[in-house]
Amino acid sequence: MQSTVQLGEMLKEVVDVVGEENVLTDMHQRAVRASVAAPFPLHKWEEHVPDAVVLPRTTDEVARIVKLANKYRVPLVPRAGASGLCDGAVPLKKGIVVDTKRMNEILEIDEANMCATVQPGVQPVEFNRILRPLGLFWPDDPVSYYCCTIGGRIGTGGWSDLAGYGHVPELIRSMQVVLPTGEVITASHGGGRKLAKSSVGFRTRDLFIGNQGTLGIVTEAVVELYPRPEAQWPCIFGFPSFEAALRNADRMGKTGLKSLASMTLFDEIKVEGLRRDDPAYIIQPESVRSVNYFACFGPEAEVRAAQDILFRMCEEDGGVYFGQEISEGDWACRHERYHNTFHSRTSGGLVKPGKWHCEDAAIPFSAVREVFDRWHAIAKKYTDRYGDIFDDYGGITYPNNPFRPWGSYICEIDIMIDESKFDEKIWQEWLNLKREIAEVAVDVGGSISACHGGTRPGDVEVACHKELAEGQFDLMKKIKKMLDPNNIMNPGKYCLDEAYLAENEE
Amino acid sequence: MAERELLYYKKFYEEPLVLDKPIPDKMGKDMYFCFGCRTKHCRYICPVYKELRNESYIAYGRHNALLSVAKGLEDLRNLANTMTYCLECNACELRCPNTLFTADFYRYGTTPTDFTRKIRRDLLAQGVKPDGWEEVEKYIAEHMGYFEGPHEEITKWAQGLKLPTSGKTVLFVDYWTAFNATDIARLVAKILAAARVKIAIIDHPGVTNGELLDSDLKKWLEHGKHTIDALKAAGAETVIVINPHEYSYFVRQYPKYLGTLPFEVVFVTDYVNDLVKKGAITFKNSVNMVATYHDPCALNKFCDVWESPRELIKAIPGIEFLDEDHVSQWDYCCGNGTATFRKIHPDIAYRIGRSRLERALDLEAGNLIVSCPHCQDQFLEVKDKSRLPIEIKHIWEVVAEAMGIEK
Repeated sequence: MQSTVQLGEMLKEVVDVVGEENVLTDMHQRAVRASVAAPFPLHKWEEHVPDAVVLPRTTDEVARIVKLANKYRVPLVPRAGASGLCDGAVPLKKGIVVDTKRMNEILEIDEANMCATVQPGVQPVEFNRILRPLGLFWPDDPVSYYCCTIGGRIGTGGWSDLAGYGHVPELIRSMQVVLPTGEVITASHGGGRKLAKSSVGFRTRDLFIGNQGTLGIVTEAVVELYPRPEAQWPCIFGFPSFEAALRNADRMGKTGLKSLASMTLFDEIKVEGLRRDDPAYIIQPESVRSVNYFACFGPEAEVRAAQDILFRMCEEDGGVYFGQEISEGDWACRHERYHNTFHSRTSGGLVKPGKWHCEDAAIPFSAVREVFDRWHAIAKKYTDRYGDIFDDYGGITYPNNPFRPWGSYICEIDIMIDESKFDEKIWQEWLNLKREIAEVAVDVGGSISACHGGTRPGDVEVACHKELAEGQFDLMKKIKKMLDPNNIMNPGKYCLDEAYLAENEE
Repeated sequence: MAERELLYYKKFYEEPLVLDKPIPDKMGKDMYFCFGCRTKHCRYICPVYKELRNESYIAYGRHNALLSVAKGLEDLRNLANTMTYCLECNACELRCPNTLFTADFYRYGTTPTDFTRKIRRDLLAQGVKPDGWEEVEKYIAEHMGYFEGPHEEITKWAQGLKLPTSGKTVLFVDYWTAFNATDIARLVAKILAAARVKIAIIDHPGVTNGELLDSDLKKWLEHGKHTIDALKAAGAETVIVINPHEYSYFVRQYPKYLGTLPFEVVFVTDYVNDLVKKGAITFKNSVNMVATYHDPCALNKFCDVWESPRELIKAIPGIEFLDEDHVSQWDYCCGNGTATFRKIHPDIAYRIGRSRLERALDLEAGNLIVSCPHCQDQFLEVKDKSRLPIEIKHIWEVVAEAMGIEK
């Protein structure tokens, strides 16, 4: 897209804006910003290495960089924690990565109005360290808790394990956004920056949550704060079948327990997978074939009352308590094990390199069982063919509905992959596998992602051309072209290049 | 400790990387095993990252950099400066999901500190020096000068203490401590004498510093062997080590390359704490202060020594101790690092040190107790420069005051 001359000229001006120390051009510093946590085609690494990296500190710097990108027609790719699983921060057309990690100021903690104003590079783990002595709590709880940033969570429209507190869209009151042409706007509910609800104007805030950096760069956000919960109580119950666990989850969700902050179910294949190497599961009797995993957060009196109800109802549904040690231990390390490169064993117990990658989808509750059956059948097709590269480590499901744990669920299938064996053929097979999984989700009236984002290689076309075929994708293209006339912002993502192709065809 | 060391000992790190030649397969795989994770738990815990927010410098970034060389994208020479942005504090190794969950049954862990040292050495051996390396060379030359100098200079710190040069229990005092933290070495000798422990010293150890380890493994091991031989010749059955950096080399590095040591090695806080428990040391004076304790990286993150300094502090009357647990301190560092960092990046070292002092002030502690002479040196400099209202106390100053021992 851009010539070397244009890039060179632009970088000179970028240095004037942010200073030389904030512009990185060494190959290895660029190469480290080519990938995110999602499976990466290392054999095509060079294609995704950006031409330069910029680390701005202020909204004004970001706005000036964006204006320069328009002047020189150089792509910009916003990058936050880079822990995402849908490649939002992977450059598809090279250009300049705008790494927002240096924008890490907590600008205000407003205890009276229970909100804080933060820059996008603030990490949840750092934020909670500051909030803790004030008795406050930022409840967003992704698996990437230790490595994501709030800006990245907004950019991907993140899903939180503590759905009882709401997911990212429910946790953001307003944002300051640099649009793709460099104007700075407030995206909010109505006019106030600290309001949680207004009936005035379009809901502009929602446009800038989950757009994967295609519509602008968030440079500030006003976020919700919660009182720090007095009590936290995780507990795991084993069930004789996935159906029994699902029945239990459905009943439990409808109790209306306010302190039921999190609920997670493992299907039979997941439990079988965990028996290969996880001491908490190896010791469970064969009768445990599925798991329901709860966490209650809230005032101690409420959590105690919830404990009684949980124990009674799980017992009624055939559940067996795993005990305090396993429950608390598993909860404490819930952010840790997911992406470990060495997290694989054969069914015979032999160790082998491999890491989990999960594909997620939003699914109506009534279709959860069917989706897993169809997904596992797809996975089997590929594991039969490439047993040393892919493996099926089972399914996980959680209520997806914020504050209301019923009706809409998120389903995830964990595919173990040995990414080091990827070549072009296997990479294409991997994309095919993902495409088939996504098509099942759309087929049952679901969405290809409730958590990671829909701009994943392999299945993004399913999202744009099948899932969003009732006019949504056409509207997305119109909005994209209106806000980003030069296709500067993260070009290639979400098939939005099609917006510009259409113009040429006309 | 020894078992863990062998688990993490990658002999293939000793095969040098050669400029303009392919990166050996084993090394490439080693880099991939870090790249494969990409959740970067090594990021938020890195004290350098906290100040600079540049992920090129975290363990993941450094492994990724060499992987980019292995894949033909980058030239090995260009890694020289990047490799200097590591404190060698070992937080990333501890926090790595490989270490935490799978290293034991896979017999494989991520070893970012060993890796960084290796890359530095391989580049230096081929004449590729990072910016600012002259300060490191000057420091090594200074210690080499001590080594080549007369016995009397080396043991001057012990003047008047009448310490023999042979005995079953030897106090090991490295060159840094002997010449830059003389008071601390003398206090330890006096504390042990007061507890009626007969200690000896050796009058001519080798150069044991991390700067030489970062530069030339062969020479560093030659000096290590010299030191071990000298301790053995002095009749040592127990060696009490005063400097956490050197302690980590005695327990983690020398056995790896030179085999089991012919004596027991104990860190001085462990040794003195045992004396307190046995009643050989009593604290007759109250030391009135509100204090917290700083875990030195070499003890806490390399050797898992963190209990004995806390027990000692708690045993001293008058101290209101505001403890911050040792795991929370994985992402702390005084800013000195365990070898070359402060010499090359003094400004960043200052920022890291200042952030650490601010954490102590968050606890409303008026004093920060340290157990490492390098931490003491660094924090005193940061305190002077920042004028933060906190006093830096070495644990032996506090223990001596409680015992009624004068400097």
